[in-house]
Amino acid sequence: MGPDGRLPPSPSLQLLVIGSGPPLPVPDVAARLSRRVAVPCRVEAPVEVLDLDRVPGRDQVDADRLLERIEAWPAAAGVLLVGLTPLDIAIPIFTFVFGRARAGGRAVLVSLARLDPRFYGLPADPALAERRAVDEVLHELGHVTGLRHCDDAFCLMRFAGSVEQVDARGSSFCARCAGRLPRWMGAPPLSR
Amino acid sequence: MTPPLKILVVDDEAIVRDSLEGWFRQDGHQVTAAASGKEALRLAAQEHYDIALVDLKMPGMDGLDLQSRLAAADPELTIILMTAYASVDTAIQAMKAGAYDYIIKPFDPDDLSQLIRRAAEQRSLRFENLRLKRSLEAATAPPPILGASPAMRRVLELVTTVAGTDATVLITGESGTGKELVARAIHATSPRRYNPLVTVNCGALPEGILESELFGHEAGAFTGARGRHRGKFESAAGGTVFLDEIGEVSPKVQVELLRVLEEKRVTRLGGTAPLAVDFRVIAATNCDLQALVKEGSFREDLFWRLNVFTIEIPPLRERAEDILPLAEHFLASFTRAMSRRGLELSPEARKAVLAYHWPGNVRELQNAVERAVVVCNGPLVEPGDLPVHVIASPPRPASGSLADAERDHVRAVLDSAGWNISKAARILDVDRVTLYNKIKRYGLERPGDGA
Repeated sequence: MGPDGRLPPSPSLQLLVIGSGPPLPVPDVAARLSRRVAVPCRVEAPVEVLDLDRVPGRDQVDADRLLERIEAWPAAAGVLLVGLTPLDIAIPIFTFVFGRARAGGRAVLVSLARLDPRFYGLPADPALAERRAVDEVLHELGHVTGLRHCDDAFCLMRFAGSVEQVDARGSSFCARCAGRLPRWMGAPPLSR
Repeated sequence: MTPPLKILVVDDEAIVRDSLEGWFRQDGHQVTAAASGKEALRLAAQEHYDIALVDLKMPGMDGLDLQSRLAAADPELTIILMTAYASVDTAIQAMKAGAYDYIIKPFDPDDLSQLIRRAAEQRSLRFENLRLKRSLEAATAPPPILGASPAMRRVLELVTTVAGTDATVLITGESGTGKELVARAIHATSPRRYNPLVTVNCGALPEGILESELFGHEAGAFTGARGRHRGKFESAAGGTVFLDEIGEVSPKVQVELLRVLEEKRVTRLGGTAPLAVDFRVIAATNCDLQALVKEGSFREDLFWRLNVFTIEIPPLRERAEDILPLAEHFLASFTRAMSRRGLELSPEARKAVLAYHWPGNVRELQNAVERAVVVCNGPLVEPGDLPVHVIASPPRPASGSLADAERDHVRAVLDSAGWNISKAARILDVDRVTLYNKIKRYGLERPGDGA
């Protein structure tokens, strides 16, 4: 974040793994994410956050409380924090959410729990889970930059209420949303 | 995704209000949150909302109570109840009270998204339906029939009387009197008004084509009949068939028409199976059908089949009091259509319009006024703007019998002679006694003497 609270023109992404659970393929996610954005992606050592707030009456982490904690994470100026968790997250009003972010925020949160085919009793498919995770991170980063949900069926900013919809909307932004993204959210320039 | 909506979220729990506000904002909707029923009513009184999400259990005013009050304040508001206590009773109660739907907390994100999308689509369909209904009402509204004369008031009474029935109507009257307008008015006020009014000008079509138009044809029925064609009786499909100029129909078609009218079944040309058809018939003619029956050119059985309820439209010359109102109506209408400003008939033009006998009836008057609006330069329509034959014509002859004509002529000559009996007798080429006898017989009085 800049001193005026706005996103710097070219932040760096710092990936945090939050909460214990099945090991996450974070380096692979970071590698995939690096190919989609034009800024460096750094992976932090996994952190154990104790006393995660739960949604009352449910065995799910309160996504909004967790997002607040990530946003308060000590990080250098110009760093956007990407929280990845193997835990199932939700907010009190919804049965689950895939991720959370707020426009103008300095962090996004994505749960890999329901992006993993095994959650639905299907065989493991690491490549699919990683692709979904990267897509979801980009979707939430879109919200951070101020984008709203899009009505284009094949835009990454389209709302997805199920993993089928995550797959159906594809992995790219529509021309209208792409045009509103900051330059760093585009593909990195080819190396000379 | 739905177009941006104005959503009112009503819940006593801040976490619900905040979550839904954030969620809907991400979808581009405008969201306002209220923590109580009272606050919601205040907000709804100040602003119009598309959708209200109302929590069922709230301290003070509960969701069902709030729902009925919100619905009373804005019947177009789509209300969705939110409840943590799922039960069939709750659902039934909510739906009975007019809620669009209800949703159980916590929501599945996709369920909420779909619910809002469905509600938006339903609203859009409801408004589209309303718009179409209004257009349909406007399109099917009865055409205005102008006429304050007793004769036209009688016509309007007859239209009202017969419209609600399914009786066959025969409209008679000279060309240009507005027979089709009366037929449209009957259809537009009848229970068949939302079905088609199909008009067939029987006099304009050769026999073979008229048969095909009326009854339809199968492919190959005759040379050139490449495809199947639905006839007018089939096309009417629950509506009205208006047979204009019925007196011009050939004897062969008369036989076929009679059969269709009696059996309510039609067989397409080249077809074998008769099809049941649902229609009402309104026929019109400017001929004296009874005279045609007498001379043998119109079937008597068809005449009686058509002549169930007759409406006779009098010619314009027999209802002089309708001439000026009609002329002024057409003047206003053409002035608007041609973007002219505030045209009026000059006193001389009024006299000319009243003096003419309008053999072409209302249609001729309409055409004359249209022409006048085109050629008129000033704010007043002058006699010179009217067609030459209107202003050059002799005074409108009296209608009715020879005695009526004589009475009117004698009165006109007396008026022109200033009721000087000798002078008037000379003009009329009769002696004074004869003139006095005629004055007595027709009850003529010098203007001002009758009071």
